[in-house]
Amino acid sequence: MSDEMKNKSAAGKYLTFALAQEEYGVPVLKVREIIKMMDITGVPQVPSHVKGVINLRGKVIPIVDLRLKFNLPTQDYTERTCIIVVEVELQSRRVMLGMIVDYVSEVLNISNDEIEPMPDFGERLDTEYMHGVAKIKGTVKLLLDLDKVLSADTVFARAAA
Amino acid sequence: MDQTRDALCNDIEHRLGRIACDAILDPSPEAVAAQVDAVAADLDAAGIPDAAARLRALAHEPIEQLGERLNAEWGDWRATDELRGDVEALGGDAELSSMFVAEALDHLGSIEATLLKLEESPDDKTLLNDVFRPFHTVKGNAGALGLVTVQHFAHTVESLLDRCRSGKHQVGGVEIDIVLKSVDLLTALITDIAGRSAGQVGKNLRAERLALIEALEQLMAEGSSVLRQEAPKPAAAFNLEPEPAAIAPPVPQPTPTVVPFTPVAAQPAPVAVPTPAPAVVAASPALAAPPAPAAPAAAAANQNQSAIDATVKVDTRKLDGLVDMVGELVILQSLIHESPALGRVADERLTRNLAQLRRITTDLQRGAMSMRMVPIRQTFQKMARLVRDLSRKSGKQVELILVGEDTELDRKVVEDINDPLMHMVRNSMDHGLEPAEKRLAAGKREVGRMWLRAFHQGGSIIIEVADDGGGLNKERILQKAISQGMLTADQKLTDDEIHQLIFKPGFSTAEKVTEISGRGVGMDVVRRNIDALRGRIDIASTPGAGTTISIKLPLTLAILDGLLIASGAERFVIPTFAVRESLRPLPEHVHTIQGVPRLVQVRDRLVPLVWLSDLFQTGNVRINPSEATVVVIEDDARMVGLVVDRLVGKQEVVVKSLGDAFAGVRGVAGGAILGDGRIGLILDAHGIVTLIDDSEAAAPAA
Repeated sequence: MSDEMKNKSAAGKYLTFALAQEEYGVPVLKVREIIKMMDITGVPQVPSHVKGVINLRGKVIPIVDLRLKFNLPTQDYTERTCIIVVEVELQSRRVMLGMIVDYVSEVLNISNDEIEPMPDFGERLDTEYMHGVAKIKGTVKLLLDLDKVLSADTVFARAAA
Repeated sequence: MDQTRDALCNDIEHRLGRIACDAILDPSPEAVAAQVDAVAADLDAAGIPDAAARLRALAHEPIEQLGERLNAEWGDWRATDELRGDVEALGGDAELSSMFVAEALDHLGSIEATLLKLEESPDDKTLLNDVFRPFHTVKGNAGALGLVTVQHFAHTVESLLDRCRSGKHQVGGVEIDIVLKSVDLLTALITDIAGRSAGQVGKNLRAERLALIEALEQLMAEGSSVLRQEAPKPAAAFNLEPEPAAIAPPVPQPTPTVVPFTPVAAQPAPVAVPTPAPAVVAASPALAAPPAPAAPAAAAANQNQSAIDATVKVDTRKLDGLVDMVGELVILQSLIHESPALGRVADERLTRNLAQLRRITTDLQRGAMSMRMVPIRQTFQKMARLVRDLSRKSGKQVELILVGEDTELDRKVVEDINDPLMHMVRNSMDHGLEPAEKRLAAGKREVGRMWLRAFHQGGSIIIEVADDGGGLNKERILQKAISQGMLTADQKLTDDEIHQLIFKPGFSTAEKVTEISGRGVGMDVVRRNIDALRGRIDIASTPGAGTTISIKLPLTLAILDGLLIASGAERFVIPTFAVRESLRPLPEHVHTIQGVPRLVQVRDRLVPLVWLSDLFQTGNVRINPSEATVVVIEDDARMVGLVVDRLVGKQEVVVKSLGDAFAGVRGVAGGAILGDGRIGLILDAHGIVTLIDDSEAAAPAA
């Protein structure tokens, strides 16, 4: 029942992107813009996946490297590396945040039928921040629950200090 | 309201209850009317003719509704009467009042939000403190203005919060519930009083308030709902509906339309005439119908309304945004103005228009900046009021001397300096100045003196609170700190370190909790607020001669004068006020400890060396100090030599917050957008010094 409810709310348009041969999707409504990789100013005392801050037209925005966040093997940034700027709502406050991904693929309309709940991997795999899995034309897209993925990253400094 | 009057009112309330009962049981209008008359006569005798008249006016209402109407009318009168003092107090100074109301509502709003978070994690002490502090401020402000009813109610709620804070009472759902209800009521009460003082018809919140106070007291007496482990029906004790008296029919909430009654100054003429019953009865329809006084009241309301609307409270974020944008506009304007391509165009009209554009931009910038700058006068006046009231309350005579009221400060600073100043003044009154006997015994003037000063010094603004009281009692501070477990008895501290103890959370040397101070909120809040303003706080105290607390604040928060430095690939900005000097030391002035250069001789002082790259773990190699640049930064008389690659230059930067995400990062005060569009971190000298302390404390263990 609860899974069904979750999936229902999960249907919609998704921006898909790649991270180390895996395909991920985030709700388009949360995406503010996609920018090219740019110089990032490092900030001390934060976890390594928090790369620092950038200046987005006068606004200071924290940047998270999703490969590092998900413990995927790192690689040098390429021409195709981008930053997806998303807006997440946390404790009724809107926070802008940038995520570094390998490359952006496309926007997909994903229906309820295509979404399956995340299988339970037990203790071995933390899938808490996944909405579910979408099977589209033989490929699998992991749908991220942004609020959950990034909630830890809006307070990281406090935890680290 | 004095005691006898209160007792009489309670008695009247009972009698009205009985009358209501009689009116139902024994439908004999004459007998009931006679009873009403008797009550009214007693009220007249007690010198409360307005209430008497209002009751008499109802005496010949249809008997079925009489009880209800009487009780409603009486309840409304009593609520109005009780709030009279508060309404008068708030009506005193329109500017102060509207500030108080806006601030209080802000605070209550944030308290509500925090309470909701607290409900999620009831054991979070920080959240609890975040509820307590603004609550304390609201109470304090209400008290300072003379809003007795508000203050009394807030005090009761605060007592519960204080018990929670000190761990005597565990926070549970019931507690959150009751505090939330109290916050709602307080909001309604303050709005109501503000409305009344603007001549509007008030609401009767009395029954709700009394019920809440009772429930709060009961809750405190019974102990935590959590500890009682889901007692079967804890809700029964906290039934916040006004308990209907057993004999009376349920007291209805009076509808606002019932009483068009001017609360304060102008009492309507009919009320003032204590004519015998029949005459009043004749006049009753006129009174019951919306009478004449409503018109002047409404006019007064309009007038007051416009006085309040003359100033608009603007969200500082909007103001910051405006100032930011204007800043960018000025830069863009000057870029266009100085563009070489334009120099080749010899068009008189274009030149004229550009000159005009430049003038307007400059004016705009000046205007935007001036919107942020306000004189500190208003804040000082608020303190003057506070001192007066505290003096009356504590019986200490005080002469307050204000210096430099016209000193202009950034609006945000003025807003944020209010709470800390208030705490400092309270402390000075409560702990600093001695009672008259003690002063005379010490050979001082009987009347204590307190100074509030504001002045410019260098690029900063200094605000001082000084008194000629007894000075800080070092012995007592030490004892208290030891008894509260902040120190061990064998620790040796310098005078300055002892003084700093009063800024620790929860520290209070007051023997008993008074309304003035002693709950141990205060100086830690002061410290925190000043830190947030990038200011510094210093204490100078001479035993027997007085204490001076001075706050040093930057002129404006928006722009910072900084030293741009490079370390590896990164650029950093060090605020100029924190930099003592920068130098490239001679190799013989650098001293190694266990093979690592650790000290540098700057003139005749030895200064510890720290690599910025170590501190922020940027992964760069340590460069030899004699091949790099050492920037000597200073915080609280402590110096640290920061080793950086090189100086880039001096620059004025616009300060940007890194956002909540990085609120916990120490040693960084914010970000600045540099010429190349990248962000440079602004270093925070105080944070860096404490960061070094911690890493040194951790080092021996490692």
